[in-house]
Amino acid sequence: MTDEPGRVIEARGIIKEYPYQGDAVRALRGVDVDVSAGEMVAVVGPSGCGKSSLLNVLAGIDPPTRGTVRLLGDDLYGLDEGARSRLRLRRVGFIFQRFHLLAVLSAAENVELPMAEAGVPKRERRDRARELLDYVGLGHRTAHRPPHLSGGEQQRVAIARALANRPEVIFADEPTGELDRRTGAEIIDLFARLNRQGTTLVVVTHDAKVAESAPRVVEMADGLVVGSGVRP
Amino acid sequence: MLLSLALAAVLAGDPVPGLLVERRLAEAVPLGVGDTVRVRALASGRQPRPFVVAGVFERAADPNRIARNDFEVRFHLSDLEGLLPTHDRVDRFAVVLAPGARGDSAARWIETTALGTRAYSSTGLAERTSATFAVVSRFHDAIGIVTILASAIFLLCVMVIRVDERRRDMGVLRLIGVSRGTVFRAIVLEAIGIAVVGSAAGAVLGMIVARIVNAYYAHLYDTTLRFALVTPRIVILAALLGLALGALAGAFAAWRVVQVAPQKLGER
Repeated sequence: MTDEPGRVIEARGIIKEYPYQGDAVRALRGVDVDVSAGEMVAVVGPSGCGKSSLLNVLAGIDPPTRGTVRLLGDDLYGLDEGARSRLRLRRVGFIFQRFHLLAVLSAAENVELPMAEAGVPKRERRDRARELLDYVGLGHRTAHRPPHLSGGEQQRVAIARALANRPEVIFADEPTGELDRRTGAEIIDLFARLNRQGTTLVVVTHDAKVAESAPRVVEMADGLVVGSGVRP
Repeated sequence: MLLSLALAAVLAGDPVPGLLVERRLAEAVPLGVGDTVRVRALASGRQPRPFVVAGVFERAADPNRIARNDFEVRFHLSDLEGLLPTHDRVDRFAVVLAPGARGDSAARWIETTALGTRAYSSTGLAERTSATFAVVSRFHDAIGIVTILASAIFLLCVMVIRVDERRRDMGVLRLIGVSRGTVFRAIVLEAIGIAVVGSAAGAVLGMIVARIVNAYYAHLYDTTLRFALVTPRIVILAALLGLALGALAGAFAAWRVVQVAPQKLGER
């Protein structure tokens, strides 16, 4: 496997099987994917085609049954669990369909959480959390807890949290799946803005609007990449 | 020995000997210092003799006598002998030693001087008479151990349930890169916090209940005995146990959750 300059993700021969009733269900059947720095890639395809499995494998969350993944220059599954955790913490951001914010913490505290774990001093992380919440348009809601925020606002907080440690790549799994059309469009605009500012994004989505906003689309079906195209 | 007691007018003539009555008796009759009472031993068949109440004393709290609602009167030994049908016979007597005197030497001297007499130090006597209480105390220890075990299981269940309720949150923390160690420590610290707060609340509740119990029995038995005690030692022991049990319960709950892959923590 090469380690080309500017290459953020390089996945080769990814096979992922899940045990099921004594048998193995193959979710990914030999996937190769490359993502370069500054790209925004939408991974699309029907339900059950392996999009989320691929995202989990690429992001260092779930090891593949076979195959290799290089993420930001590291052989991801050659690293031990602790090193993979640190890589996810410091260099990768995550955005989930259901936001996954901690309900007991305020918006600002949720954003501060990854910075606290990374050892950022308190004052600095407080300032940065406010700055990020301003960036996503929630500067006036810093003290609110997630249950008191709308779905769109919660997803903005999740985006701010994903940006907390200045990640080089962000993985998003159905980021507009729980949002109405207008709020979804706001999130898409936010992603486009992030991408223009140089952040690499890999977005798994069913949403045609998200796919249309991505300069590059990877299409999957039945555990395989069946198409990949760059928008002119 | 049974004595009967009756109020009497002051008799002129011979000096009237004094006696001491315990406070409860003084209140029950009622009697005061300077009052004259007539006393006779019920078994003697002799005429009652007058005594002046020279003082009122508070009987030392004694768990052996708590259930016996008898009153205590103190006479000079010669007066007591004069009341009884038999002379020169004493069941028990107490000797107060001068400061620095050796109790065991005094006991040996008494036993050799008064043949057939058994002398005990106050500690030895307390040990002999408190055998029943030693058994009761062991029961208390057993109850304490069962309570601690039950509390430990309860705390463990609380922690496991709390952590299970937040498996998804733990999963998110792990997904965004928070290490197993941090998650483990956070859960253990939370468990210790719960256990210590629980211990403190338990100690405060114990003190309140002890006061209520003591007030009730003090009223019931008219005694200064304390039936329930929450000492600083007990509070410290409870806090330390809380700390240890909290750490153990938290460690168990945390260990269960950090063993699970982060992407599976959202699953039920």
